Amino acid sequence: MSGEVRVFAQYDRDVYESCDVVVVGSGPGGAVVAKEVAAAGRDVVLVEEGPPFTPDDFVLDGALSMARTMREGGLRTTRGGFIMPTMQAIALGGGSLVNSAICVRSPELTLDDWCDSFRLERTSRAELDPHYDAVERFLGVAPTPDEVQGARNLLFRDGCRALGWSSEPIPRNVVGCRGSGECFTGCRSRAKRSTDLSYVPAAVRDGARVLTSARAERVLTWGRRRATGIEGSIVRPFTGEPTHRFRVDAKAVVLAAGCMATPVLLQRSGNLANSSGTVGEFLQFHPGVAVLGVFPDRTEPQFGATQGYQSLEFVRRGFKLETLWAPPGVLAVRLPGFGFDLKANLARFPYAAIWDAFASCNRSFGRIRARRRSFDPAIRWSLHPADLTILGEALWVLAQMFFAAGARAILPGVHRLPDEMSSLAEAEVLRTHDYRATDLTCGGNHVFGTTRMHGDPKHGVVDEDGRCHDLDNLYVADTGILPRSPSVNPMLTLMAIAHRIAGRVAERV
Amino acid sequence: MSLAVALLLFLGAALAGRRFLSGYPARPAGARYLGGRELATVAAVASATYPKGGAVEPSGLEAGIPLYVDRFVAAQPPRMRFLMRCLFALVEHATLVFPAPGAGGRRRFSSLAPAQQVAVLDGWCRSRLYPRRLVFTSLRAILTMGYFADPAVLRELGLAPRAIPRTVCEADMLWPKIGERPESIAVTARDVVPATAAAPVVPLGPHGELHPAYAAPSPGALAAPLPARPAEATS
Repeated sequence: MSGEVRVFAQYDRDVYESCDVVVVGSGPGGAVVAKEVAAAGRDVVLVEEGPPFTPDDFVLDGALSMARTMREGGLRTTRGGFIMPTMQAIALGGGSLVNSAICVRSPELTLDDWCDSFRLERTSRAELDPHYDAVERFLGVAPTPDEVQGARNLLFRDGCRALGWSSEPIPRNVVGCRGSGECFTGCRSRAKRSTDLSYVPAAVRDGARVLTSARAERVLTWGRRRATGIEGSIVRPFTGEPTHRFRVDAKAVVLAAGCMATPVLLQRSGNLANSSGTVGEFLQFHPGVAVLGVFPDRTEPQFGATQGYQSLEFVRRGFKLETLWAPPGVLAVRLPGFGFDLKANLARFPYAAIWDAFASCNRSFGRIRARRRSFDPAIRWSLHPADLTILGEALWVLAQMFFAAGARAILPGVHRLPDEMSSLAEAEVLRTHDYRATDLTCGGNHVFGTTRMHGDPKHGVVDEDGRCHDLDNLYVADTGILPRSPSVNPMLTLMAIAHRIAGRVAERV
Repeated sequence: MSLAVALLLFLGAALAGRRFLSGYPARPAGARYLGGRELATVAAVASATYPKGGAVEPSGLEAGIPLYVDRFVAAQPPRMRFLMRCLFALVEHATLVFPAPGAGGRRRFSSLAPAQQVAVLDGWCRSRLYPRRLVFTSLRAILTMGYFADPAVLRELGLAPRAIPRTVCEADMLWPKIGERPESIAVTARDVVPATAAAPVVPLGPHGELHPAYAAPSPGALAAPLPARPAEATS
């Protein structure tokens, strides 16, 4: 049996399908569910709002690439106290198309905390390890080899070593990476095993039908206990212009549209699955801060794995460290000043490395609401003062690493502090500064919690199998179900949980 | 209302209208979405943010920032386009209320002397007020991405992307280029190169051949065509 991928140019009328399981969203959660359920012999329809990309469709320019692959043109932000950019992809493969392929297992401590705090019984590290194994094996996850690290990643390692802190090559879902540093705009080398190149083709081999450019707009129900399918619009790539309607009837519905889109879909479906009142609540981010360091020798930063090294040394203190690269125009947004001063800083790029830290921020919450006459969310989120302190500590740690690795200067990008610091003594102010949220230039692309997993139906949306407490056959399989920060990059943990969810869905259909 | 009051109101409105809306240069050729006034604002900010010379040679105008911004705005969803146009209007007219230092400072941003434009941007950049800084940061972010879209800038900094030979994978048999029908897929199973960890990896480096789009000198040569949005104005 072999399925198919339907693209926008093929739709010339309204579409009607019926199947065993309809999955909404082809990112790391939905693609895993679609493939595993199809492999179990069930009839699967996978629905994706974005188009599938080929290398010919990738645009290397950062801003135009964002306009094509990200929701709200890549300019989505939070509100509430301060503005933080947050990006969610709209493409076959979802976020895996444009992320850095980082595959890290959540620490045992973090998962134990989830189990204790959210009455979960089967989400310990030991319970999830077989699912982690299965996903890693399928994707070919392996530590980034030295030959494609590039100088800026190896300098990170050197900085950690000099200070006696742990560091490691980042495990990634890539095969044959050449270190082009282009993960953000789509992998031209086809080395990244994003879900559009891995799980989706496998699902198609097992008979799944994939509808791309199909925006799910409502979950169909029979009474308040059973979902019967989804309906929505066929939309033109990049513009979102609706051209036809579609409907998929199914015995089970799996929502994996993303932590931002799934709660909006539930809210627009008559406030579905929300007897706990937690749909769209408990929104959490991993806000990240970055520091640019300037070295005496050229680092040629555009070459090397996009994010090749990490340190988990400070995970218990609430933040993770890693290297970073993106299109230069996107990175330059963090540089200070304008005019000749700005140009002087741009000219330091060939000698630079950028390292970032993101914090778990388990005290900072927000919420998602459906915006009127739109399928985009209104996002409110604020940074708790205690979490702000952690981000300040992370900046100080990054500064120490840069100078330990031999940097001549750092540009921390903190308002009310000097634009440039040339020694550790000058950077000491990063440790003592009385930070305000508005001092920082943060970004937050890891999101969690808006349809959280909880053993008690009064306090969460889904159970440990991803099934909504309120409906018999409606599941959620995106990062919204993570009840709290996974302490590390969330993709692999989500895929492991989705792998488990797929098993339950296949059993019950 | 007496005739005199009505006349005064009319004259006031006419003067205000002239102050806000007239005297702009013609819309540049090639612009698709933004009007001449907005592009004049963008050009003025681009000149102040990226002047000619210095550590990186091309100016913001030489890098084609205004037309890049025009295309970038056109590619955005309606809400974002509206917000960006508000941003340009705010920057352009804020100096009518909060004048730039020096004589003749109460003019539109694009009509100020270059030194006054720099002083205004410096005020926004270093403001204690977060919303003011945010306006500056947002505006500069858009312009900076436009500056880096110029192949000449990337070549000068040694940051231009390199050519990468095309690898064919299984997915290439499943869907065509965006906008095309599956019949256009020319790849067959025999073309597919299986991804294996054992294959030798040749890392990219600074001596590699440039991506063809970045070897060409003309600005803006690299972007794929962006479709107009349904409600897009064509003026």
